[in-house]
Amino acid sequence: MAQTLEIRDLRVRVEGKEILKGVTLTVRPGETHALMGPNGSGKSTLSYTLMGHPKYEVVDGDILLNGESLLELSPDERARRGLFLAMQYPVSVPGVTLYTFLRTAASAMRGYGETARRNGDQRLHAHLIPAREFRQEVNAEISKLKMDQTFLNRYLNEGFSGGEKKRAEILQMALLKPRIAILDETDSGLDIDALRIVSEGVNHLQTELGMGLLVITHYQRLLNYIHPEHVHIFYNGRVVHSAGPELGEKLEAQGYDWVQAEFGV
Amino acid sequence: MGKLDQRNNGYGPNGNGGAAREEMLTLEVNAAAVEALSDYYDEPAWMRAARRDAWALYERMDWPHTKEEAWRRLPLARYPLANRQIAVAPKPLHALRALPACWLSPLAPQTQVSGIVVHQNGAVVYQDIEAQVAKQGIVVMDLHAALRTHGDLIRQYWMQGSITRPDFNKFTALNAALWHGGTFVYVPEGARTLRPLQAMVGYDDQGSTGLHHTLIVVEKGARLTLIQDRRSLEFLPELSSEIVEIYADEGAWVRYASLQHWGEQRHSVSVQNARLARDAHLLWVNVALGGQITKDFLRTDLLAPGARGVMQGLAFATREQIIDQSTYQLHQAPDTHSDLLFRNVLRDQAKTVFYGMIRVDPGAQGTQGYQANNNLLLGKARAHAIPGLEIAANDVRCSHGATVSRLDEEQLFYLQARGIARYDAEQLLVQGFLRPIIERVPLACMRDGLDEEIAQRFRGPSASAQ
Repeated sequence: MAQTLEIRDLRVRVEGKEILKGVTLTVRPGETHALMGPNGSGKSTLSYTLMGHPKYEVVDGDILLNGESLLELSPDERARRGLFLAMQYPVSVPGVTLYTFLRTAASAMRGYGETARRNGDQRLHAHLIPAREFRQEVNAEISKLKMDQTFLNRYLNEGFSGGEKKRAEILQMALLKPRIAILDETDSGLDIDALRIVSEGVNHLQTELGMGLLVITHYQRLLNYIHPEHVHIFYNGRVVHSAGPELGEKLEAQGYDWVQAEFGV
Repeated sequence: MGKLDQRNNGYGPNGNGGAAREEMLTLEVNAAAVEALSDYYDEPAWMRAARRDAWALYERMDWPHTKEEAWRRLPLARYPLANRQIAVAPKPLHALRALPACWLSPLAPQTQVSGIVVHQNGAVVYQDIEAQVAKQGIVVMDLHAALRTHGDLIRQYWMQGSITRPDFNKFTALNAALWHGGTFVYVPEGARTLRPLQAMVGYDDQGSTGLHHTLIVVEKGARLTLIQDRRSLEFLPELSSEIVEIYADEGAWVRYASLQHWGEQRHSVSVQNARLARDAHLLWVNVALGGQITKDFLRTDLLAPGARGVMQGLAFATREQIIDQSTYQLHQAPDTHSDLLFRNVLRDQAKTVFYGMIRVDPGAQGTQGYQANNNLLLGKARAHAIPGLEIAANDVRCSHGATVSRLDEEQLFYLQARGIARYDAEQLLVQGFLRPIIERVPLACMRDGLDEEIAQRFRGPSASAQ
C-alpha cells in the first residue's frame, strides 16, 4: 500500500535550540523530492526527527503518514509503518554481523516475531525468517548492488568504507521495502561508479515499490541519477523555495548565495 | 591400557571406570577423611602423603582475609565454610542417554567429539573415547583411575603450578587434601585429536563439597581441544573448591574452553593455572554464567621463549550474583606473547570484579602483553575493573585498559530505525558485545547454545527463578 508523508509546520529543538522553524512538505507515493541546502541548514535534523531520534524535541507541528501522526511512535514503530532513513553516518555495531542484522530487521518488518509470540512459539529462531529462504533473498539483492557476499559475515558497518556503508544502507532498503524513503546525503563518500550503482538500486526500488522518496543532498551530483520532480531549497530550518528539477541545476551553477538575497532569510 | 574396543576407554560400558569401589562414602571434613579417601581409592603412597601434607597446611592456614587485594571485594563471609561434608556416590557407568537431561542436553553430540568423561557427584558416570584417538595414547578419563594407569606421569606434574599448589590458599589446600572426582587429560608427544574432547562436572546431591581436580598434560608438539562444563542443582548453599592444572610442553597447542554453569546456590572458588613451555600456544576461553558467588583465579605462565597465551572470558551476572575474577599473565621469558580480553555483562543488582595483572620478569625482553576488560551495565549492577601492570624489563610492548559502559543510544536508534523493537535491539547489542568471545568457543553447536543462553539471561525475569 502506497503512503503519503506529510510534514506540517514542524518545529524542532535540539538541546534547547530551535533548529527546524516550521517545515511543511508533502511526499506522495511514487514522487521524488530533493531537499537541497547548505551545511548547517537543519537537513539532518529533519531526517532524524522524521525517524524519531530521541534527541530531537518536536515543539510544534506534526508528521503524518497516510493521515496518522507519527509523533508518539518509537523509531521501530515508524519503520514498521513503512518509513526508512538511509543515514548519512551509519553507526557501526561490532559483534552483530550484517547478515544477523538484516535477518532480524526483515523478520521484524514482516511480523515474524509477532506471529511467534501469538502462537507461543518459544523456539530459538521462531521470530526469524527461515534461514534458507532469507539467504536466497539476501544473496539476490546483494549481487544487484555488486557487493561481495563476504560482507554478510562482517560486523555491521565495522570497518566499512564510506561507499560500502552507503551500499549497505541501500541493501537494507531493498530488503525492508519501505513506503517512504529518506536518503540523507547518500551521495557523500561515493565514487562515481558506486554512485551509479546505488542510484540504480534506488530507482529500481522506487519503480518496484511505488515508494515516495525524499532525497536530502548538498549537491546536484546525485540528482543526475535520481531525477526528482520537485526540488526544495532548505535554508535556516525552513523550506524557502520549491520548484521543478531546473532549480537543482541553478543551485549547482550559482551556489547558495543568491538564496539569501532573493528570499531574505 | 589393554585392548580397546571401538568406542570405550578400556572400561566396558557397564563397568565402573571411576571409583575403585562401589559403596557410598560420606565423610566429615577432617584428618580422618584424608585416610578414608586414600583407602577408598586405593591410592599410591605418594598421593596419600601429598594429601596428608596438604591437610596439615589446611589446618595451619586461615581463610583468606578481605585485607588481601584479591579477596577485598568478595563477601567470603557468605560462603558456607563451616561443618562441611564430602560424599562420594559412585554409580555404574550408564548409557549416555541415561544421564539427567539437564546435563545431557548441553553436551556436544557424540559424533562431534573424540572423547568424553562425565562426572556426577564426584564419580564418573560416563566415559568414552574414539578408538583412533585412544590408539595414540590420548586419554580423557577419571583422575582416580588414571592414578593407576598413568601414576608416574601424574606424580611428575601434580600441583607444580605457580598457584595450583597446596599452599596458595586454604581453598587449594582443601582441594589438595580431599579432592575427589577429577578429570585427567593426556595427549602424548606429537599426538592430536581432530575433534574436541569433552568433560562434564556435575553435582546434584545435597550437602557435599565439590572438590574437583583437573589435570591436563599436553606433551611436545601435541594438540588438544578440551571443553569442560560445570553444572549443578542445589537447594541449600553449597561450596566448591576446584583446581585446574594445564601443562603445555614445547610446541604444544592447547585450546581450553572452560564453561561454568553452577546452580544458583553454589559458592565456588577455582584456581586454574596454565604453564607454557617454549613455543607452546594456549587459547583459553572462560565462560562464567552460573553460581551464587564465584571467585576465579586464572593464570597463564609463559615460561620460555615463543610461548603464547590468549585468554578470553565472558561473564553474564544477573540478580544478586557475584562473579569475581583475578587474572594473571606471567612473562617469565623473552619473546613471549599474551593477550587477554574479558567481557562482562551485568544486570539487576549483580556485581563483577575483574582484577587483572600482567607481570613481565626482568630479562623477559621482546615481550608483548595485552589486557582489556569491558563491562556492559544493564540495570543497577556494579562492575569493578582493576587492571594492572608490573614490568621489570625495558624492551616490551604492553597495554591494558578497562571500560564500564551502558548500551549505546546511537546504535539502538540505528537498529530501531530498521524496525527492530528496542528490547530486541538491546538483546542484539548484548549478544554482539559478547560475540568476540563466543566466536573462540569450539563447535558451532556450543556457540549456538551459548548464544541462546545469553539471550535467555538477557530476557529472563529479574526476580524469579532463572
